[in-house]
Amino acid sequence: MKTFSAWLLWLWMCLVIVGAFFYAPIAVGFRSPGSSRILFFHVPMAWTSFLAFIAAAVWSVKYLLRRNPRDDRAADVAIQLGLLFGVLATVTGALWANIEWGQYWNWDPRQTSLLASILFYAAYLGLRQSVEEPEKRARLAAAYALLGLVVTPFLFWVVPRITTSLHPDPVVNQSGKVDMDAPNLQVLLASGLGFAALFFWIHNLQCRLQALSERRATPKE
Amino acid sequence: MWRDASTWAAEAAAVFAKEWRCEFRTLYALNTLALFAFTTLVVVSFSLGPLGVERSAGSAVLPVLLWIILLFSVAAGLPRTFVQEEESQTAMALRLSATPSALFCGKLLYNLTLVLALEVLVTPAYLIMTSLRVASPGLLVAVLAAGGFGLATGSTLVAAIIAQARSKGTLFSVLSFPIFLPLLILAVELTRGAVFGDPGGVAVPVLLLYDASLTVAGLMLFPLVWNP
Repeated sequence: MKTFSAWLLWLWMCLVIVGAFFYAPIAVGFRSPGSSRILFFHVPMAWTSFLAFIAAAVWSVKYLLRRNPRDDRAADVAIQLGLLFGVLATVTGALWANIEWGQYWNWDPRQTSLLASILFYAAYLGLRQSVEEPEKRARLAAAYALLGLVVTPFLFWVVPRITTSLHPDPVVNQSGKVDMDAPNLQVLLASGLGFAALFFWIHNLQCRLQALSERRATPKE
Repeated sequence: MWRDASTWAAEAAAVFAKEWRCEFRTLYALNTLALFAFTTLVVVSFSLGPLGVERSAGSAVLPVLLWIILLFSVAAGLPRTFVQEEESQTAMALRLSATPSALFCGKLLYNLTLVLALEVLVTPAYLIMTSLRVASPGLLVAVLAAGGFGLATGSTLVAAIIAQARSKGTLFSVLSFPIFLPLLILAVELTRGAVFGDPGGVAVPVLLLYDASLTVAGLMLFPLVWNP
């Protein structure tokens, strides 16, 4: 069953890639129209990193309520993966920015906020490394991860609204309307779904791997 | 109910009084903060003051450096509030004698008075030594107060976290700077506005909102951090 769903995910992502290049029509109004196809990968990566950080907050709350080390491990792995997807989104964004805006880095509010939240969650990993005792590490890390719930909304929603952005309108723009051709939107949503599934799949594998290596590290009684 | 509230307030006030009594014995935190701030200030104002750069360039750069001076002074002095409790092994006594939220408020109030004292000392000296002219001093005072409150709240919570970890000094900067990032972006923007005479616009309520959410988060998370 597990291998079957992994193959299904593989097939789904293949379809997304094919759809992104052959099914979705080329966007108009961009300097290099072909480059706009990066949208189908760049935006879902940013979504996934956001999803990962929210999931980490949920696992942190669960840990603080039940004090089960499994929830702590899940939060830790979610943040690691969130950082991975966040870095990927930043890099793909910078590549596209160079093509479209002529510079890799423009201090665009969205670039800045993603970078700042990457810094925040990298600090989370730094905190974990400097506490030895597992229970204390889990408790402090969970509290710090929840502090992220205060910091990230400001970064993602408030700061971009104060300064002007070069970024193309978000899919659901400020007037609350979905402003995109139907095939493009279908591919984008399918890709978002695929990336989210990818996240949960890698998360599951990584948690199991980490649990095994922790069990190996503790000496048998 | 009222009785609870009054004992809570008494606990917070007792923590605050205890912090200042300890501080007056050594003057460690005040000395660290003030010396650090003044040394940096001298360097900055010597090279970027009237001798160093043109006035227009200075007005754009100096507000940023004021906040950097404040940020680093805070990072040098405020972690001590909780680190010292762990080092002198008084943390357990404090855990037994005060409600966590009252303790947090007492420590926050102490840190806040420290930061405000620092700002009162440093800002006029900074403005005089760099001959920076401020078009709307009222806005500057408001931003310093709101920004200082945010710095104090964030530092209090982060200090409680790092006091229980290894490599405390460096960890404080690593953990607190990302939290201060939105705050500093807003504070710098507003300070620059005060220098050039722009009213802050939407940035003022956003800064206050950030302060408020940090305080609420601090009150909710501190008991979890503090109690093993």
